[in-house]
Amino acid sequence: MGAIAAAIAIGLAALGAGLGNGMIVSKTVEGIARQPEARGMLQSTMFIGVAFVEAIPIMAVVIAFMVVGQ
Amino acid sequence: MQEWQQMTIRYRKYMFYLLALYVLGWGFTSYQSVFAGLILGTSLGFFNMWLLAKKTDTLGKAVTTGTTVRTLGTLSRMATAVLAVIVALRYPDIFHFISVIIGLMTYIFVIMIDYFLHSILIRK
Repeated sequence: MGAIAAAIAIGLAALGAGLGNGMIVSKTVEGIARQPEARGMLQSTMFIGVAFVEAIPIMAVVIAFMVVGQ
Repeated sequence: MQEWQQMTIRYRKYMFYLLALYVLGWGFTSYQSVFAGLILGTSLGFFNMWLLAKKTDTLGKAVTTGTTVRTLGTLSRMATAVLAVIVALRYPDIFHFISVIIGLMTYIFVIMIDYFLHSILIRK
């Protein structure tokens, strides 16, 4: 049961992160393609966004490995 | 572009300050396992942050030059978190587990605090 719980935790978190990252990256790429001179600002926003989005799957991975490791 | 470089340098600086504080705590206090865990977690979190900054920069360059980027490195960052957890679970007497997790999340707090400071205090 622990392995199933870990798999569900990692899977759902990765799904959410994938969707979130996809939205962030697509909008950033669109913005940079439209305005290449705004690259620095857009990259900064993307960096902050991706870091926040990826906090959840990283925590999920940690919790999943805690469950499996017990 | 200058804003981006300044931002990454600032984050790097804060992470080095925190790491230096943790090393001082490890050396001069009796909470050695807590600070060792914080050092391990923050080091790997720092690697995660560096990797994310590098990949973001690569993506920006690729969009402007018209080349392709295959990955943003999410799997590598997850693998780093797994490595930290495995090390903390394998050596519980050396590394305090909760400290490793807090250390791993440190870069997100650094980014959050810096973002709020810059957006609320400095820009306005």
